[in-house]
Amino acid sequence: MTESKSIIEIWVYLSGSPLLALFLTLASYQTGLWVYQKSNHNPLANPLIITIALITTSLHFIGMSYEKYFQGAQFIHFLLGSATVALAIPIYRGIHELRGRLFPLLLALCTGGLVSIFSSVGLCTLMGADQAITGAFYAKSVTAPIAMGIAERIGSSPTLTAVFAVLTGITGSVLVPLILNAIDFKAWWQRGFIIGIVSHGIGTSRAFSINTEAGTYASLAMGLHGILGALTVPFIYKLLNP
Amino acid sequence: MISGLLQILFFQGLGEIISKLLLPFLPGPVIGLVLLLLWLMYLKDINTSLASVADTFSRYLGLLFVPAAVGIILFIPQLQQNALTIVTALIMSVVFAALSSALVLRWLSPDHPSSNENSAQAKDQHD
Repeated sequence: MTESKSIIEIWVYLSGSPLLALFLTLASYQTGLWVYQKSNHNPLANPLIITIALITTSLHFIGMSYEKYFQGAQFIHFLLGSATVALAIPIYRGIHELRGRLFPLLLALCTGGLVSIFSSVGLCTLMGADQAITGAFYAKSVTAPIAMGIAERIGSSPTLTAVFAVLTGITGSVLVPLILNAIDFKAWWQRGFIIGIVSHGIGTSRAFSINTEAGTYASLAMGLHGILGALTVPFIYKLLNP
Repeated sequence: MISGLLQILFFQGLGEIISKLLLPFLPGPVIGLVLLLLWLMYLKDINTSLASVADTFSRYLGLLFVPAAVGIILFIPQLQQNALTIVTALIMSVVFAALSSALVLRWLSPDHPSSNENSAQAKDQHD
């Protein structure tokens, strides 16, 4: 009797403190990473998707609301802004590579960025998607931490945007190498740059594992695409939603 | 490590202030990123503390957007209703963006057509 009462008290205490949400987040992420490594870094076994699935299932099981979970997990969420600032370092490391190639690389970046926004938003509108869904597609082409910041600015859901950004990264890291092979696109720096534009973080870490030059160009493209997105998406949004 | 974190928090704070006062359409962290990048280009060097913090962040970047992404549970009805649209838009935008940017890069590249010195084995090794 008293024992079960004290267990309930401990449970009430734990679920009220950030400890449980933090533990759940880190434990799920660790599991996600482990599965990803076991799968030989298969992009379809993406550690983030596994982590999110584990956490949502656990929340459902222990009957914790998302708001309550976020109260605890916000300490991790806060670091997202710092991580965005830290993207300056990979850009700086790659920026010397722009010398002599500035014009083609920047134009490829702008083309990829704009085509990505207009094709995804256009398809959503044509197929009659919800306003919330279409809104989340505006910023999804850039790396998730920056995409969420942009989503806040244009008043669409940062959550949906982050999820679509991750899904874009996964889709891109599977499809882009196949597309580049199909059009006989061979130079490492070019391959890396295209992978960085389209499949940002997930593609970049894969590019690094295949070739350092490709990885450097991929992280350069990913960072520049983030800056370009932050500068242009709010205006494109206003243009299409007057 | 601590000094690197301090530098990042400093630029993040600076970015937030500029975003609030001058450029409300840009997220503070993005302004912080650009300022830090300009600062590094001025210094022409990355100190080891800053580099180690940045590498740690980029290694575990995925973890940091988990709390926000778990919010997906609030959107399950919309996702189910629009599943086909979402899948189509995701795949097609990736294909169009990759094709268009790759073609632009090929047409404009100085060493056309892709004559990089270590490119011969590219196709065999890549996937």
